[in-house]
Amino acid sequence: MTEPLLQCVDVSVGYETPVLQNLNLEIDRAEIVALLGGSGCGKSTLLRTVCGLVRPLGGEVRLFGESLYDVEAEARTPLLRRIGVAFQQDALFSSMTIEDNVALPLRELTKLPASVVQEMVRMRLELVGIGDLARRMPAQVSGGQRKRAALARASILDPEIIFADEPTAGLDPVVAADIDSTLVKFRDALGSSIVVVSHELESIRATADRAIMLADGGIAAMGTIDELQQSRDRSVYEFFHARAG
Amino acid sequence: MATAATSVERSGRTAVVRVRGDVIVPTARYLYGTLRGLAKRREVKRVVVDFGEVGRLDSSGVAIIELAKRALHRSGKELALEHLDERHTAAFELAPKDGAKPPKQEEGPTWLEAIGERVLKIGDTLRTLGHLLRETLTQGWAIATRRRRVPSGSVSAQILAMGADAVFIVGLLSFLLGMTVAFQGAVQLQKFGAGVFVADMVGWSMVREFSPLITAIVLTGRTGAAIAAELGTMRVGSEIDALTTMGVSPVRFLVVPRMVALTFVQPALTLMSMFIGITGGLLVAALTLGLSPATFWAHIAERVTLADFAQGLGKSLGFAWIIGFTACHFGLRATGDATSVGRATTRTVVVSIFLIVVLDALFATIITIARSR
Repeated sequence: MTEPLLQCVDVSVGYETPVLQNLNLEIDRAEIVALLGGSGCGKSTLLRTVCGLVRPLGGEVRLFGESLYDVEAEARTPLLRRIGVAFQQDALFSSMTIEDNVALPLRELTKLPASVVQEMVRMRLELVGIGDLARRMPAQVSGGQRKRAALARASILDPEIIFADEPTAGLDPVVAADIDSTLVKFRDALGSSIVVVSHELESIRATADRAIMLADGGIAAMGTIDELQQSRDRSVYEFFHARAG
Repeated sequence: MATAATSVERSGRTAVVRVRGDVIVPTARYLYGTLRGLAKRREVKRVVVDFGEVGRLDSSGVAIIELAKRALHRSGKELALEHLDERHTAAFELAPKDGAKPPKQEEGPTWLEAIGERVLKIGDTLRTLGHLLRETLTQGWAIATRRRRVPSGSVSAQILAMGADAVFIVGLLSFLLGMTVAFQGAVQLQKFGAGVFVADMVGWSMVREFSPLITAIVLTGRTGAAIAAELGTMRVGSEIDALTTMGVSPVRFLVVPRMVALTFVQPALTLMSMFIGITGGLLVAALTLGLSPATFWAHIAERVTLADFAQGLGKSLGFAWIIGFTACHFGLRATGDATSVGRATTRTVVVSIFLIVVLDALFATIITIARSR
C-alpha cells in the first residue's frame, strides 16, 4: 500500500485558540479532495497549516511521509517545493507581468534554459486560457484571469499536490467551469492531487473525487459527494440542502 | 536523484533518439541539448524520439518536445514520437492543441506618439488636479457655511499627527540651521568689524527663507508622504470606492480635514522654527562674537519687521497647500496594486519639493521687484 501524500494525525489548527481539533485525514495520489464548510469553520486555516504556513497547535502534519513541522526550516523547503498553492487573493506579484509571475518558480528553483522556461510558461498559460495576457500586469486583468494566473503559477513545477483556496469564488459559471476542468486536467495529466477549499457546490460536484466537510471544530463527514449528500449529520444536511433550496 | 540518458542512432537521414529514465525538470535539459544539436545537423531530415524506456514525463519534457518540433519544422525536418505510453500521452495533453504562437511583443510608441502621450498625460493630471481643487473648495465652503460637516474629530486628529509629532524634528533642524547661518556670517562679518550684523543676517534668513523652507521640506517627507500612502492604500483597498458608493464625498471625508490641518500646522511650525532658528544664531553669536543676547534681540527687533514675518508665513501657507494637494492628488490616483502606492508616495515628495522651490523663487522675485519700486 502506498503512503498517502498528505496525512494529518490528531491535528489541531488555529491562530491562538483552535478552530479545528484532533483532525485525522489523508490525501492520496491523483485525487481531488474538496474541503467544505461554512464561513469561519477553519477551512482556509487548515489549508495554510498543511502547506507549511501556520504551525498546528497540536498533532502532526506529514507531507510525503515526512513530518512537516518537526524538521528545520531548511529541511522543510524541499517538501514545500513539491506542492503548489493558489491563494484565495491570488497573491500575484503586482510589479511583474503575468508571464514573469508564472515563470518565477522555474527561474528561481530550476536550471532550465530560458527558452524552455518561456515555452513551459506559454503552454501553462494557454492551458489555463490566458495565453494572450502573458505580457499584462496583474492589475490589468480581471479577477478570474488573475485566479487562472495564480493556478498556472501554482502548477508550473508539476507539483504532487496543488492546494487551491476558493479557486472559483466570485467567478461567473462559465469561467468557474473552465477552472474546474483545468483542475481535472492537472489531476489526469500530471497525476497531481488537488485539495480545493470551496463553497461552490457545482464546482465540487464537477471535480471532487472526495469531500471533507468541516463543522463544529472537526470533521463532520467525509466521503464522496453522493455519500455526503446522504449524510444525516445536521451541518452536512444544512450545507447541501439549504443551498439546494 | 532522477536520471536521464540519451543515445542517438543514425539510420540514413533519420536520427533515432533513445531516451532512458525520467524526463523531468532536473534532467530535461540533457534531452533539450541533444534535440537542439540534431536540429542543426544538415544531413538529418527526420528525428524520432523513442519513449520506450522513459519513466516520468513532466511539463518541462513536454515543453522541450514542443520547442524541438518547432525548431525542426523551421529547418524543414520532421519529428516523430514513438512508444508513448498512457502517462506520456496524458502529459502531452498539457500542450496547446492548436499550436498557438507565443504572444507578439507589442510595438512601442514612436517618439512623436510618446511626446503626444506625455502631453495628454500632463493635461490629464492638470484636469484632475483642477477637479480636486474645485471639489475641495466647494466642500470646504459647504463646511464653512455649515451645510456639511467634516467627520467628528478628524481635523484635530490630523493636526496632532502632522503637528505635534513634527515639533521635535522641525525644532532641532531649525536650531542647527540658525547656528550654521550664524557661523557662516560671523566668520565673514568679523573680518570687517561688522560682527553685530550677524543678528540681521540670521533674523532675515530664518524668517524670510529658511524656516518656511525647512518646515515645508520636513512636512513633505513626513506628512505629504504619509497622506499619499494612506490615501493610495485606501484607493487600492477599494475604501475610496466604498465611500463613493455610500454617497460620501471622499474629498470632504478625507481631503478637507487634511488640508485644514495643514493650513494650521504649517504656519504654526514655521513660526516656531523662526524663533528656534534665531535662538540658535543667538547662541553662536554669544559664544563666538561675545554679542550679548539683549543686543542680538534689539538688532532683530529693529531689522526684522512684521512684513518679513508675514512674507514667511504667507509662503508657508502656500507650501502647505502644495504639499496637501500634491499628496491627495497622487494618493487618490493610485490604481490597482501596491507598487502604485509606492509610486504615489515618491511622486508626492519629488513634485512637492520641486513646486515648493519654484514657488519660493517666484515669491523672492516678486517681493524683490515690489521692494525696488
